[in-house]
Amino acid sequence: MGDLIPWRIVPREHASRQAVILVPAMTIVLTILCSIVLFTALGASPGLALYAFFVDPFSSAYSISEILVKASPLILIAQGLAIGFRAKVWNIGAEGQLIIGAISASLIPITWPQSTSVLMLPAMILMGVVAGMAWASIAAFFRTRYNASEIIVTLMLNQIAFQILYYLVTGPLRDPRGYNFPQSVPFPDAALYPTLFGGADIRANLSLAITIAASFAAWLYVSRSFSGFRLLVGGIAPAAARYAGFSQKRAIWISLLVGGAAAGLVGVGEIAGPIGKLQPILSPGYGFAGIIVAFLGGLNPIGIVFAGLFMAVIYVGSDSALLLADIPSSAPIVFQGFILVFYLAASLLIHYEIRGKAAVKSGGAA
Amino acid sequence: MKTPLKVILTAAMLSMGALSAAIADDAFKIGFIVPNPIGDVGWDHELDRGRQAVAEHFGDKVSIQAIDSVGEGPDSTRVMNKMASQGVDMIFLGSFGHMNDGLKLAKQYPDLAVVHAGGYQQADNFATYAVRHYEGAYLAGMAAGYATKSNTLGVIAAFPLPEVVGIMNAYVLGAQSVNPNLNDVKVIWMNSWFDPAKNKASAESLVSQGADVVFSLFPGTPSAVAASEELGVYTTVTLSDNSAFAPTRHLAAIQVDFGPIMIAKVQEAMDGKFVGNDTFAGIGENSVSVAGLSKDLSEEQKSAILAKQDEIRSGGFHPFQGPITDNKGKEAVAAGSKLDDGAVKGMNFLVQGIDTSLPN
Amino acid sequence: MDTFVFVFAGAFATATPLLLAAMGELVVERTGVLNLSVEGMMAISAAIAFMVVYTTGSHSLGFLIGAVSAAALSVIFAVLVLVFLANQVAAGLAVGILGLGLSALLARSFESETLIPLRDINLPVLSDLPVVGPILFTHDPVVYLTIAIGLVLAWMFTKTRLGLILRVVGENPEAAHNLGFSVLRTRFWAIVFGGCMAGLAGAYASTVLTPVWSQGMIAGRGWIAVALVVFGTWKPLRVMFGAYFFGAALLAELAVQSLGIDIPSQIMSSMPYALTILVLAAVSKDTVRIRLNAPVSLGENYRPSA
Repeated sequence: MGDLIPWRIVPREHASRQAVILVPAMTIVLTILCSIVLFTALGASPGLALYAFFVDPFSSAYSISEILVKASPLILIAQGLAIGFRAKVWNIGAEGQLIIGAISASLIPITWPQSTSVLMLPAMILMGVVAGMAWASIAAFFRTRYNASEIIVTLMLNQIAFQILYYLVTGPLRDPRGYNFPQSVPFPDAALYPTLFGGADIRANLSLAITIAASFAAWLYVSRSFSGFRLLVGGIAPAAARYAGFSQKRAIWISLLVGGAAAGLVGVGEIAGPIGKLQPILSPGYGFAGIIVAFLGGLNPIGIVFAGLFMAVIYVGSDSALLLADIPSSAPIVFQGFILVFYLAASLLIHYEIRGKAAVKSGGAA
Repeated sequence: MKTPLKVILTAAMLSMGALSAAIADDAFKIGFIVPNPIGDVGWDHELDRGRQAVAEHFGDKVSIQAIDSVGEGPDSTRVMNKMASQGVDMIFLGSFGHMNDGLKLAKQYPDLAVVHAGGYQQADNFATYAVRHYEGAYLAGMAAGYATKSNTLGVIAAFPLPEVVGIMNAYVLGAQSVNPNLNDVKVIWMNSWFDPAKNKASAESLVSQGADVVFSLFPGTPSAVAASEELGVYTTVTLSDNSAFAPTRHLAAIQVDFGPIMIAKVQEAMDGKFVGNDTFAGIGENSVSVAGLSKDLSEEQKSAILAKQDEIRSGGFHPFQGPITDNKGKEAVAAGSKLDDGAVKGMNFLVQGIDTSLPN
Repeated sequence: MDTFVFVFAGAFATATPLLLAAMGELVVERTGVLNLSVEGMMAISAAIAFMVVYTTGSHSLGFLIGAVSAAALSVIFAVLVLVFLANQVAAGLAVGILGLGLSALLARSFESETLIPLRDINLPVLSDLPVVGPILFTHDPVVYLTIAIGLVLAWMFTKTRLGLILRVVGENPEAAHNLGFSVLRTRFWAIVFGGCMAGLAGAYASTVLTPVWSQGMIAGRGWIAVALVVFGTWKPLRVMFGAYFFGAALLAELAVQSLGIDIPSQIMSSMPYALTILVLAAVSKDTVRIRLNAPVSLGENYRPSA
């Protein structure tokens, strides 16, 4: 293959600064070109569709708040996962950790549905974090004790978490006055994050502060702390890590616990935020979308913030596109797929440069 | 020349569910939100048939915008809000999971009329509707009771929701009413919203246990119906006539029709008389019927089923009239009384003769 | 058809799409590439194969075109990871999303249609044997073909030069390069092979196993296939065992329910997944063996230095 490609890819000494602009620009240009073909083929107006995806999400305070509602869980999960991914610990189970975190946190308002205590929300947050970590630690246990791949264990635990949620919400935790419908009692106000900016329809809430704090902490951890460095080494070169006295087991435990904590927090954020109760469907796949956000952000805490916001714009724009441009409901998924593929392709430019083959030879001589 | 062109255009737009400036601005704007892709049978198909009935009935007095595959959860709110902020006059929500967000929306837009399928909470501008599926289930159950040779019936159901339990109970009561030798009914809970392969395997599993009539209760896919044809057993099904998927083995279907309910609510809203009430319509309101009866049923059997349908229509018979015993041996409905609508909607017991249990 | 026969005969058909996709993924992973787009590749093929069989009535044509469509998707993945050096996990997820979206978009007018499935082959004498007949000798041709592919792969990896090349590329791409093998070319064709196999798996799911098209019908089977490769420690015969084990576990859940055994059904629905974790732990405990089999360079991109 190598000889078939008429150019050569040469690593850069430093990540390119121009690429920070160039990569998104190329992604957007390529996506627009592809979308014109796609939307025209579907008989919709490409201009209208693209307007819906990229401009309409910023057209009202409501939409902007919705971007934050969507971005916050994506960023939080991605920050948690990225720490593990840097250490090559593949936690695919954020979805399950989110569910278990939400279930545990919900026990408090379900037990005291009339309470007005200010301690309620903090207690829920604590429960959610601990439960998310506990669920993730099953995978850490099986990985460190029995060497069982965390990819599979976390994937299987997602399925089990869903069944647990469904059992509880159709049985023990269901609202006794809810005609046996599968949902819990609505949570009291004390169990909900206060919303921001006022306004009846604004759903953005204080959980955003947690996401911002977590992103800052992730940045500090990765760039400043010794432990962050150790995780990186443990991932890249287990042998070197062992030589330096770092334990691979510790890396696995830390990675999964941090990922589980973040996912558990997101679970609390959903039930104590937009949802306001326990119900069979808690997450529109945040656990999986978070993986993509982590990679789109280059596993870098700052990059993840931007990637999360970008993905949120696309999600909010998808809903607009369905209404404004009259496209089939599956078209936005294809659109998202295009963006991701083009972004990944263009990202090459961050760490590499492309030179013609001839240029390389003369460059080598110089 | 102009008129036919306009008719064609309008029809095309309506059929595509397009919101378009081409439709007169004074048309009454209605949004339809449907939870899944629209197929040839099933829940979303029936909701869409209701939408078509509205479009046909009101012609160019209404303009309709429809979006499918709007699942439950926090994302559906955004679609509703977007519709409302674009000045839609009325919104139909197609999933139980849209209830909480729909209520919030109704509060926020007091002039908007919201109609929600399957919920239990109302507000001034938030109405709900449901159909008495259990009435049809009793009739389909009679067909199953007649047709079974092994006296063993199988049921495949998605999740133990109260409406599902009510349908299952009525079905089994119907079968027992015509077949005193019926064995315990076997049940498989899929515990999955949607999985065609598991749906088909469930039918095979029931047949391997001797079931010769398989009831597909809100399966989300016609897989089990098609599998029954292949396995050579009879099949009964909720929501839509599935004869096309089991041409020789389709025993009976509970056919629902949301059209009459939707048309009535649209008319109310157009007249400025919208009421945030609950509509619970059944055979009597032409919202439920038994359909696709197999030609293998004898004429007497068919006429007994249709006679029972008339009896339900006239109010002379209620599927849940006592005495009814639950499957733990306790009296569920006393002799001489019948369940009220609240108890039907919140059904949390299984009748005697059903071999499964409910979470509690 | 009693319960025993239902579970063990049915396991073959249930396992077939898992096994086809897992065999493809196994070859890909053996060369050091982790392709997580299996779910999306299965979906696109399921959609296209269904449309082909629905309109032409030919299952062979459906399998062929389905495999080609999934292979086309896998080429996008290959270009991303081999040429553009994209992270394999991210590229797999991205291409997977593209596949799921395209499948739903292309086949949207076929939603919830059904087909006539392939007929089982009834072998004279053998099919009529009690118990063994229905379990082993009454299946559609693809079931047998899948077993044959598994055996051929097992033979290829242990006995042939091609198997050796694939393994060297995955174990030590630098060494393979120095020996004169093109790492990228090998990985490219492995990825395309994986795409074809995922395509056959998707086509089987929509045109034989179910046989229905619906958006989202793959319902996580692509992920199970990825899991099975690790479960089987990258060995074809163990992956085969894993697939049939998992298929049987899925059906056992339904059999237990229809027998009326009073266990909360959610516990039964969790059982295949919980069992997978426990068996995986038992299999993986022998760390030496795992290390011998796991491709060393799995998930890492290779850029030829010269």
